Amino acid sequence: MSNESITIAGAPSRGGALRRLDPSMLLWLVMIAALIFLVASPIVRLLISSFQEAETGRLTLANYRDAYFNVRHLTALANSIELGVGVAVLAGLFGVPIAWAISRTDMPLKGLVRILVLGAFITPPYLGAIGWILLAGPNSGWLNRLWIAATGEAHGIFNIYSMPGLILVVAVTSFPYVFVFTNSALDLVSSEMEDAAQILGAGRLRTVFRITLPLVFPAILGGLIISFLEAISLFGAPALIALPARFNVVATQLWQFFEYPVRVEEAAAFAMPLLVITIAMFALQRFLLGRKGYAAVTGKGGERRMIPLGPWRWVMLGYSFFVCALSVLLPMTVLLQAAFAKAWGRGFSLENLTLANFRYLLFDQTQARDTIINTFVYAGATAFVSIALALAIAYVVSRKLVPWANVLGFLCMAPFVIPGIVLAIGFYAAYAPPPLALYGTGTILVLAFTTRYLPIAYASSSASMRSINHEMEEAVRILGGGRLLAIRKVLAPLLKKSLAGAWILVFIPAARELSSAIFLVGPNTRVISVMLFDLSEEGNFEVLAALGVILLVATLAIAAIGFRIIGRDFMLRRNV
Amino acid sequence: MTGIFNATRRDILKGGGTAAVALGLGATLMPRAARADMTPHEKELYEAAKKDGQLTWYTAHSDDVTAQALGRKFEALYPGIKCNVVRTTAQVAFQRVSQELKAGAMQVDVLSSTDIGHYVYLKDKKLLEKYVPENSSKVLDIYKNYDPDGYYFVTSAGMIGMSTNTSKVKPADAPANWTGLDDSKWNNQIALGHPAFSGYVGTWTVMMRKLYGWPFFEKLAKNNPRVGRSINDTVTLLNSGESSIAGTAAQNSTVESLKKGNPLAMIYPTDGTVLILAPSGIMKGVKHPNAARLFMEFLMSVDASKIWVEHFTETMRAEVPPLAGVKSAKDVKTIRPSVEEISKGIPEVIKQWRETFGV
Repeated sequence: MSNESITIAGAPSRGGALRRLDPSMLLWLVMIAALIFLVASPIVRLLISSFQEAETGRLTLANYRDAYFNVRHLTALANSIELGVGVAVLAGLFGVPIAWAISRTDMPLKGLVRILVLGAFITPPYLGAIGWILLAGPNSGWLNRLWIAATGEAHGIFNIYSMPGLILVVAVTSFPYVFVFTNSALDLVSSEMEDAAQILGAGRLRTVFRITLPLVFPAILGGLIISFLEAISLFGAPALIALPARFNVVATQLWQFFEYPVRVEEAAAFAMPLLVITIAMFALQRFLLGRKGYAAVTGKGGERRMIPLGPWRWVMLGYSFFVCALSVLLPMTVLLQAAFAKAWGRGFSLENLTLANFRYLLFDQTQARDTIINTFVYAGATAFVSIALALAIAYVVSRKLVPWANVLGFLCMAPFVIPGIVLAIGFYAAYAPPPLALYGTGTILVLAFTTRYLPIAYASSSASMRSINHEMEEAVRILGGGRLLAIRKVLAPLLKKSLAGAWILVFIPAARELSSAIFLVGPNTRVISVMLFDLSEEGNFEVLAALGVILLVATLAIAAIGFRIIGRDFMLRRNV
Repeated sequence: MTGIFNATRRDILKGGGTAAVALGLGATLMPRAARADMTPHEKELYEAAKKDGQLTWYTAHSDDVTAQALGRKFEALYPGIKCNVVRTTAQVAFQRVSQELKAGAMQVDVLSSTDIGHYVYLKDKKLLEKYVPENSSKVLDIYKNYDPDGYYFVTSAGMIGMSTNTSKVKPADAPANWTGLDDSKWNNQIALGHPAFSGYVGTWTVMMRKLYGWPFFEKLAKNNPRVGRSINDTVTLLNSGESSIAGTAAQNSTVESLKKGNPLAMIYPTDGTVLILAPSGIMKGVKHPNAARLFMEFLMSVDASKIWVEHFTETMRAEVPPLAGVKSAKDVKTIRPSVEEISKGIPEVIKQWRETFGV
């Protein structure tokens, strides 16, 4: 059906007054209320309770005093910033060269490298941490054992239980953010400016550093900021590594406020710097980008040629594999070994192989099966709810159905900058107690996950909404169909594929989410990430690894089915 | 054989699982009947508990494997009642209970902590349900009348000593007493649990402070120990060779691992092995009160003690003898702080620990 034919048919248009009475208005109001419920209310509640006395609810500054007049608390804050900066720098060093090599050069085996980066994206940081404990435990890690065997020295050289160790573990799972941002920006830059630089006598390397990378600087900066924010809000990896290394970060300190006696108010006060840092980061981004023009990204797509690297392409490939080895290949190898081992310390031998860890989880453990089912049901529900909501808001915003529609768009993106653990405290404070009394229900988890991943759903929905000309639905309305009919019959079918892509993008992180789940689960609503955390207390790495493998395999299987349906994935575009 | 499961345990678990499935199937096909050997009280409780259908048990009494075996055994004995076993360290269990209290939504039915202070606090705040199990008069005398008012009962007992990895430490070099941990030869080699997580380790810390004062820990910190969370963590660290001596070694998880062939040796210090009496209680206003009561009976039953003993933990009942060749509390010199010392001491030592060890 083409637009012109309907326009020509020219059915009479309804009057403006009738249009305002459209019954779908009610639906929009519900969606807007939902947004306020999910995003605004927990954060406002968090802010308020940071100024409240625990018992009486009276206004006070005592929470801030207790939270900050404590050397250990301040050290935790400093540690978090060190962690965030370290991770951002390392993620940049990992992500940018690979993105450049894939986008701009003739490096071989690009498809394989992309798949490995995707693998790093899917791996939850706490699983990476367990893998790295097995690799680089100071006395027993595989790498240290190899080192001792090779050199004959008494001690290994790697110590994962340290700040550099933690930075490495978090960076190898968060560099894909930098990669994706940089890569997609580079793909839009044409070779013209590089050509100009070379004509004027700049060498290849100089061109890369003076022309190509500065052109995509906003994208790189965006990726670095996301890595930084991820790092300071993570809970699982620091709990596994920082605790034995005997230092605290903000997230593990926040967790201590939930020890008896629960001090939600003090936790709220202590969570504020994370919010402030986040806002500061984005202000810094604005400042750095200033009014400079980055208009090379015109979308017109001039010619793009791959830069021939000669023998250096093997060096780039080697570097890419090195990064992927650190992030996926090495940790996955030892995790698989542990998952199928009677005792991981006994190494890679047939005699050490067993399925007992899986049998224990699937048959002997009273909770594991329910936990596995919960995880994927909640993640699936989260994906559906967040996309439905995001789509509705994106529609309202793009069609400007209500005044200040842009505020709604902003609210949808806001959770992006709220650390998961802070969001969870807000949700706990707002919705766990009566009147809603959602504590221990699956609903509170789905709602929290929905809020957390709403920005992904919204970014996808609004991008695809923009790609669709509104004339098509107007045609339906001209012919007398209501707005909801237009959405059902025109918009939805057109958006199907991109929504499926968004579904997977929300599903994957929701299935592995720990930071916001840890304060909200009850005994019957446990998810795999929390169960992994509980099991990790005993350090039973074989069962832990087996549960991790179940999580990864199931996530990959569901994602693979999704990718099949939409015919591509979000990083491995079809034409590569 | 050093596997996670040895052959006997695998068979036991498998048998338990099959029995549970068989009984579960049977239960759906025919009307559920109480077993012939049930006491009238038990029968009555079981009938009422069936209406509850399930219960949630937060336990810090043992490792996950033992806790799951107990849960499965309960389900096999009382078909139609599901037991949700959530094993964490004592402080994490109590953290979740506190969260539930604050949110006004109790999820837990039976709480089995290893920090007696939790029960003193909960009873004081009138948050415990009074229930005197019929079986509470049948346990060994040492476990009787822990709370004369009948709000909580000892349902498990264990011992804390030290342990070494025998492939790294010769028996002659192993310390005979706790104070040996301060020797600088153990630099970077010591594994410890954490009192802010483990009730066992919390009680141990209180006891050590009482014996030697806090300087004991300041010297210990100089040896840069690896601080985990659960007391069972130390077994993993020793088995993997990451540490060579555990300053906090629970006898049950250590001996269980030793019997599987891991190179471990238990040390019973000369000043005394720390004996832990770990209670259980029912929370007030729980969703499954009858199932919770039945579970309290179960924890003090012969059947439960059989499982405890299979997993190298102290027996509760005279009918179940300790395993041959495994030291029991009556074979060694044991020490333990008083209830008041523990309930007052643990919050204090957690603070001191954080100052001394940094986490």
